[in-house]
Amino acid sequence: MALTGIKITINIDGKDYVCDPGETVLDVAKRNNIDIPTFCYNPLLIEYQRLGSCRLCLVEVISGGKPGLQSSCTLPVSTGLAVSTHSEMVYQARRSVVELLLSEHVMDCCNCGVSGNCIFARMCRDYDINGTPVCAECPNQKEGCLLQRNTLCLGPITYSGCNAYCTRKGYRCEGCFSMVQNEDILRFGLKAYRDGGFSADEILNAARIFSFDRIALLEKVMKEEGFE
Amino acid sequence: MTKEINVDVEHITRVEGHGNIVLNSKNGKVERVQWEVPEAPRFFEVLVNGRDYTQLAQITSRICGICSIGHTLASLKATESAMGIKISDQTLLLRKLALHGENIQSHILHVGYLVAPDLFGVGSVFPLINTDKEAVVKIVNVHRLANEICDMLCGRTTHPVTMVVGGFTKIPNKNGLTHLKSRIEETMKTAGEVVDIVLANADKLPEFTRETEYIGLTSDDEYALYDGMIGSTDTGKHEVKEYESITNEWVVPHSTAKYTKHNRESYMVGALARFNLNSAKLHPLAREVAEKFGLRAPCYNPFMNSIAQLVEIVHSMEDSMKIIDELLSRGLENEKIEINVKAGRGIGCVEVPRGILFHDYTYDKDGKCVKANCVIPTNQNHANIQKDMELFAPALLESGKTEKEVELALEMLVRAYDPCISCSTHYLNVKFR
Repeated sequence: MALTGIKITINIDGKDYVCDPGETVLDVAKRNNIDIPTFCYNPLLIEYQRLGSCRLCLVEVISGGKPGLQSSCTLPVSTGLAVSTHSEMVYQARRSVVELLLSEHVMDCCNCGVSGNCIFARMCRDYDINGTPVCAECPNQKEGCLLQRNTLCLGPITYSGCNAYCTRKGYRCEGCFSMVQNEDILRFGLKAYRDGGFSADEILNAARIFSFDRIALLEKVMKEEGFE
Repeated sequence: MTKEINVDVEHITRVEGHGNIVLNSKNGKVERVQWEVPEAPRFFEVLVNGRDYTQLAQITSRICGICSIGHTLASLKATESAMGIKISDQTLLLRKLALHGENIQSHILHVGYLVAPDLFGVGSVFPLINTDKEAVVKIVNVHRLANEICDMLCGRTTHPVTMVVGGFTKIPNKNGLTHLKSRIEETMKTAGEVVDIVLANADKLPEFTRETEYIGLTSDDEYALYDGMIGSTDTGKHEVKEYESITNEWVVPHSTAKYTKHNRESYMVGALARFNLNSAKLHPLAREVAEKFGLRAPCYNPFMNSIAQLVEIVHSMEDSMKIIDELLSRGLENEKIEINVKAGRGIGCVEVPRGILFHDYTYDKDGKCVKANCVIPTNQNHANIQKDMELFAPALLESGKTEKEVELALEMLVRAYDPCISCSTHYLNVKFR
């Protein structure tokens, strides 16, 4: 429903962008390759169907509107509007959003189809959240998991953030980003190890190198799962 | 009038790690000259106890951030020899190529960033960027090539991830190797220019000779880096398994690093030792470089170690191209690694940039390490540095040099050895009374 002939200028991160009335801030940002992460956004949805429900696209309005955080997919452009996409306030808010979303997420990354291209893994990396295991970033699901090649890879129980540096090169994860503290993820990891036929001793020995302080947690979960 | 010259360099710069030089003199007489290593010991041999054989190379490669590829290879060779694992010809070629990459990387770092400032008469490489920018850019270009070789072979520039017991987890492809060869070819010219830059300033290298023993790997087939027998300029060839009778480690109170001696009070390892032992096996271009500097075996001037490193840079580049040709002509294939774990003891020995390196592991029947010993090149050089200083310091005082000049000359002597001090302080058996 853009009106022809009339142009509006808005300011994103200190730079001016010309846009049509009726566009949202997210539209303008996407067109100009400004990084605003999204989860529920779908380009097929038309304006009034956009609900701003995932809250990942939050931006901070600095002037020309109600000051504070607003979801950019529902924020229409207006003359004099100035927003920041990566202020400290935005960073902290997005970080909390991802943490909340992850709390309800089933983290069976070893068996997940989007491993290697996972938006949660990317968010965890960008917003410094210890949320997903290395498997979420590892592309080996398509090319053959190391566990299935009888190699004790610590990926399933190690925090992501390295973009699966070693496993991409065929070398097992040694767990240098330290062991996950989420017991559910540990359980999924142990399930993968049981399928691979690895013993408790082997896993504990490998995990001790970088996660000596968390071995007690691993032992506890192993016991609950009846892992030998 | 009494004239006192006291040098007390606490933590010499432009070397890896922490070392001190102490010199006290009165009326031109040296009262005390000492090379001290105060860095904390690092206990690597204890860290690997009880570890699985698959983990050892990853852990021991952390002994050094510069020669991590050499440590990985020594570790893998020790494990493979303990379990009787044979590696394929392709793996051997790829490993040799990786070792050349590291050799170039480490040598250009030392000659270009650490020694060149002394030759240009400045305090570090940074003032050189303003005065001799082109020279610095050329040095960086050679360094970049070395990083590319290491990255392609090892999965990253330091601390290899692709090298495992028995082979490689991922090998480079044909296009990558072809590109790498063309990069080496184009960088060869730059390396020659770096040689000329050093040659133009080589008169700053002090004339100082002290006859000593030189120890390094030696082989009848090639300029030995990856494999061979232990060679000594004094006593000839020895089996690798007799390494303990070569190194004879001992401790001194003022150093956390162990010292070694063989036929004399001290011996030297490194590029100069390799050159003295194997210079006949050098490739032609490398031989030309040696000729330019008038470097001939045997050379007893420790300052020429930096020049021997330049020679080796060119040799490694030539040999890398030869290896790539061989790999391309035989074709690359993904090999399956099969390992039968068994008990045993194995010794791995390779030439790393700073000299001959030994890893010695003993495994139990489950492939768990029960005993480890690593003898690092810089360890083997400490005694030789001390002996050189004892002869060099009086000569400096006699020539009437000022305190500052004496200090610089002694620092240059230590730097010439390219010491990697942190690596050398890996273990100390402390007895409390």
